[in-house]
Amino acid sequence: MSEDWGSIRFVKNQFRRFYEAKSKFVKAPTEILRREFGFLSFEGKTMIRHLSFNNEDQLRSAIVENTPAHIYYSSAYYKNPEAEMDKKCWLGADLVFDIDADHIDTACKEDHDNWICKSCGLEGRGRAPQTCSRCGKNSFEEEAWLCDRCLEAAKFEAQKLIDILIQDLGFTPLDLEVNFTGNRGYHVHVKAPMIHKLDQIGRREIVDYITGTGLKVEFHGFSRTRGGASTMADPGWRGRTARAVYDYLSEADEASIQGLKLSSQALKNILEEKSEILKVLREDHSSRILKYLDLKSLQALVEASIKKQASAIDTVVTTDLHRLIRLPNTLHGKTGFMAQRVNLDDLEDYDPLTRAIAFKGDRIRVMVKRAPKFRIGNEVLGPFKDEQTILPVAGAVFLLCRRAARVEG
Amino acid sequence: MISEREAAKYPFLKEATSLVETLNIKVEDLANPNYSRILDRGERRVSEAIIDGIVGNGVPDDLTELLSMPVAIMLVSAVGDRFLERRYAHAEAARAQKLLWSESEAFIAELAKRQFGWEIKYARRELDEQTYLFEVGFVDYLRNAGSFHEDKWKLVNRVLSGGRVLLTRMEVIRLLQVEVEDFVLGRVSKHIRVEIPETVQARVENISKLFEEHRRRISGAELPPEAVSEAFPPCIKHAFEGLLSGRRASHMERFALTSFLVNSGMDLEQILQLFVSVTDFDEQLTKYQIEHIAGLRGSRTRYTPPNCATMRTHGVCYNPDIYCKGVKHPLTYYKRRVQSIKGGEKTSLGITGSNHQGGI
Ligand SMILES: [Zn+2]
Ligand SMILES: [Zn+2]
Repeated sequence: MSEDWGSIRFVKNQFRRFYEAKSKFVKAPTEILRREFGFLSFEGKTMIRHLSFNNEDQLRSAIVENTPAHIYYSSAYYKNPEAEMDKKCWLGADLVFDIDADHIDTACKEDHDNWICKSCGLEGRGRAPQTCSRCGKNSFEEEAWLCDRCLEAAKFEAQKLIDILIQDLGFTPLDLEVNFTGNRGYHVHVKAPMIHKLDQIGRREIVDYITGTGLKVEFHGFSRTRGGASTMADPGWRGRTARAVYDYLSEADEASIQGLKLSSQALKNILEEKSEILKVLREDHSSRILKYLDLKSLQALVEASIKKQASAIDTVVTTDLHRLIRLPNTLHGKTGFMAQRVNLDDLEDYDPLTRAIAFKGDRIRVMVKRAPKFRIGNEVLGPFKDEQTILPVAGAVFLLCRRAARVEG
Repeated sequence: MISEREAAKYPFLKEATSLVETLNIKVEDLANPNYSRILDRGERRVSEAIIDGIVGNGVPDDLTELLSMPVAIMLVSAVGDRFLERRYAHAEAARAQKLLWSESEAFIAELAKRQFGWEIKYARRELDEQTYLFEVGFVDYLRNAGSFHEDKWKLVNRVLSGGRVLLTRMEVIRLLQVEVEDFVLGRVSKHIRVEIPETVQARVENISKLFEEHRRRISGAELPPEAVSEAFPPCIKHAFEGLLSGRRASHMERFALTSFLVNSGMDLEQILQLFVSVTDFDEQLTKYQIEHIAGLRGSRTRYTPPNCATMRTHGVCYNPDIYCKGVKHPLTYYKRRVQSIKGGEKTSLGITGSNHQGGI
């Protein structure tokens, strides 16, 4: 009799051996006594919540003993972390950002992601559509894979976020903790006590700031024509908007400019006098650009331009005051990769598919249902379809965690 | 130490509070006729808050003036009405704001720093013909600006650098007003049980009576000109009047009313005021729900009221009149009625084009 897809027992065993050897690298979060922990087991579907630990050793032993597939802790601080939600007594929370390739439009998704309509079985590549083109329903089984380009895109968003956190919000690198999530993105934690008490509305404002949501051009120097120097070097969104428009106009092709909601006069001016407009941005106060564009068109142009400057964070995570978030230096149960703390200075060159590989050593034989091409360290594996193959253990665990393979023999 | 004069002007200052403490006056002392001037002024603080929405000029004697605020707080607290508490806190804050206008930048910065723990720096900067005089830490900024909904208060529309927001003198004073309001509200809503002497109890009853006389005017008067209450459809009018009279509303009725008001251009803070004037509404929850409906929370969808068919199904459609004929949505009724009331002139109704519907 062959194993089930995923070979859970094999994977769990690998995880246990990993934690037996490496649990000493699991670090307790700051103020461990005030944190709630959550374990998601290999067998169960529901999270065991409201766990709390007195110290790092206790946490590590519990991890080795239980070998969970996923390990989370609360971004919040509670008086009674082990109590039910309404009796926990919220004391504050870190400011947390989640960047996931899921939320970033990368062209490679067409190559490695696919979906199946749950009602009629229609299949397609890339991300699932809003509604099924055949039956009109909107429930899909989605299969999302990770690739270098997606991971690089996520890292770029993280870098932009960090830049805004430091330049605009005034945090120091020491206030920030950056973690590879173990799957398709990064988490950035701000633990500075000054933000612990920030309420949901305040966090929402920070989210809007980072994503550039609700930005109105007239507050950033693009109001009625004034004199003065170029605003491109100015701090905050004031300078960033001017730079964004400059970059956008320099790079965008005619088709995408035509796709913007511009008045016909504004469109004509941009297409005919682009170099003049760029010169204005470089040399004059940004309001001078209103000679070429009406305010409404300018707003549309800015909204399109700032996407490149803003960071594509998941807006829900940051505003959730009770969020459970993955504990760094633990394993991700859907990939077998490590969620890993990354030094800010190392981020630029950080390669998760080399550095976050938890399992080294033997190769094992697996039966693979389906997998696109993927990379583990220096080795490129796949694509596979309904075939037996011998893989390095990290690659095998990766496919097993995704239920795309099973151990053979 | 601050002067008695300053303490009298800003009785919420820590120094003013400790000055009051050193005087060590007991509640039972207030029955003594010597204190009647303090009681008079205390009572007047509250009646001015009720009638004018702002606490007016003080009495010449600084000590009387200073002591009248704790007395006023005691009186308001004794009435025990959430809406009065908010009204009073708002009026004290409005007074403080007015007084702050004539203070120096140094004084304003010092007050923000010492009293409310702000990170604030006096730094003059001209930008687009606007004079910014202060840099304020973004956390202090967000804590107070969070309740404002205009675009200009959104963090993304501010100049923010190194964690500090550039603010004008007027903006800093506006934010300090919020701090003062929160502070006073915190004090009056503590409801410390005290044995109030009989002579003072009469004043509590005066206030209670005065407030009941004005309750309806205050909440009704706060409908902005954009929301024309004569143009409300019967269902909304019924729900609205029910709210003012303190009748318990069904979930659907409340949702219909809230989403209607949100879409008629009424300020969220005003809607909240309206709702907490009815005592059994939990303020935090109400605030959350209003913001949810207005699309500031959750899905960020701004909700519109249910259509007439749904209103009928839930028994919220009430006494349809002739104008309801051919109308399928309360907002359509409203839009048409406003136009005919205003004689066809163009009006800004603040009705959004959202076609989303749903419950909370
Ligand atoms: Zn289908
Ligand atoms: Zn990709």
